[in-house]
Amino acid sequence: MNAPKHTYAEMYPELGTGPVSTESAVSKEFFEQEREKIFRHQWFSLLKRDSDIPNPGDYFVREIEIVGVSVLVIRGDDNQIRAFHNSCTHRGNRLVHDDRGCTVGMQCDFHGWTYDRQGELAYVTDEEQFYDLDKSELGMPKIHLDIWRGFLFVNFDEMPDQSLETAMGDFNQDLSPFAFDDLECIGRYRYQVDANWKTTMNAFQEGYHVAFVHKRSAPDAFTGDDNPYCHIPKIKLQDNGNQSLAVPAAPEHKLSPTEELAFKFGSTFTQGIGNTEICPGTWQGEAENWGFDLNIIFPFSRINVGAGWCYVDAFWPIAQDKTIYELAYYFPKPVKPSQMISQEFSKIVLRDLSREDLATNEVTHSALMARSIDKLQLSDQEIAVRHLYKTVTARVAG
Amino acid sequence: MANRLPEEFSDLEGYVDWAEPTEAARMARRIGASMEELTDYYSTLLPRMEAIAAYLDQWDLPELPDDAKPLLYLGMMYMEAAVAVELFKDPDVPESSPAEKLTVLTEHGERALLG
Ligand code: FES
Ligand SMILES: [Fe+2]
Repeated sequence: MNAPKHTYAEMYPELGTGPVSTESAVSKEFFEQEREKIFRHQWFSLLKRDSDIPNPGDYFVREIEIVGVSVLVIRGDDNQIRAFHNSCTHRGNRLVHDDRGCTVGMQCDFHGWTYDRQGELAYVTDEEQFYDLDKSELGMPKIHLDIWRGFLFVNFDEMPDQSLETAMGDFNQDLSPFAFDDLECIGRYRYQVDANWKTTMNAFQEGYHVAFVHKRSAPDAFTGDDNPYCHIPKIKLQDNGNQSLAVPAAPEHKLSPTEELAFKFGSTFTQGIGNTEICPGTWQGEAENWGFDLNIIFPFSRINVGAGWCYVDAFWPIAQDKTIYELAYYFPKPVKPSQMISQEFSKIVLRDLSREDLATNEVTHSALMARSIDKLQLSDQEIAVRHLYKTVTARVAG
Repeated sequence: MANRLPEEFSDLEGYVDWAEPTEAARMARRIGASMEELTDYYSTLLPRMEAIAAYLDQWDLPELPDDAKPLLYLGMMYMEAAVAVELFKDPDVPESSPAEKLTVLTEHGERALLG
């Protein structure tokens, strides 16, 4: 690839080219400010689609550790999906203990108050003993929930300072046309990482590491003679912190006997390579040798899209030095057993490949904590890393 | 004990212990196995995979009878073994975040099969 050397610094001169301080990744005070100024106000992607809870009464529970809230998301009898604090309005007991399921309603196991699938308080045990109880005011405490192209998001602000649509920024045009609707979740993973969320995420924001970190899992799928360092062919950085990066695919990628089988039975995550049928909502039409796209919704969740599949993930901050990386694959709903076997191939390769990414994070984090280095040297290929630090620092200062 | 695989796959009966119904269990079995066991499983299953697929594809997934499920699980286990043999040359992923820090959750397809 004969791209000019500093394409992205020229596109985004305001980001500068100097070293970036590691302070925001190692300071506990900075983390507290991120919590107050960013996390409490952001739209959280729950990494779930409306189709994951298709029927009235279907629900899931998600702990959002960073704000300390257990969230219950449930589809009501009116087919509306709502989000609530998973807490009883009597004295605050946790209502639902299972991670997921289908229910006719929620009964508190402390004193038996019962809520319907719309979150309304339906029944109070021994009600006569109360004084002026107005049941209509005592539904489960609501949390703002909005849906973008089927993906569920929540916001803990009393009045969100921006709509989900605003937060999605250019993705409303660029990513929106992607064919999400026929996809089903075929795998979900949660990784505990002892590292700052930004350090963790940085390993997923450039292609520079691919030839080294993924030499086993992806020896030739994303790097080849024409692009040995996995140069990113397209990057779009939005002012609101959102980012889109096209990951290249290597045209000379050789299929192993097993990937060949996987293709015979279905499709794999490398099918963007040489695929001429354009996937709307991707960089495919504009990027030479397109593999898939990384789309980062500021601050830490992503909707990444490939040729006919996608994966959503998030780098959930738990503490300054703790992150949970959650990852879910959405592939075409398998009809035949052989398709399920085929999809297993992509799931396993990508699952294991993520473990390679995460290995670098904890040691990097320790070095930053020890102040072994206090600055990051970032190349033009790592401009998305630079952009993340810039955006976070500006938000915390603002 | 009665055979657990369809007649035409009686050659694989010795591997029926590998027919784990969840991805979490298949991953654990792979990591707990030796490279010799994985290579043996891989080389035995590879030439049988197309026949396995053709047999299972008599049904759509929702109609797949219970007695065909162990064969499907063997096919999915093949993918775990194959990744270890073809890519990692090791039962586990070298230079990676440890498997204990990873939770493999169960999703729709797996739950539907478990019934
Ligand atoms: S706390 Fe729920 S009924 Fe008392
Ligand atoms: Fe990576």
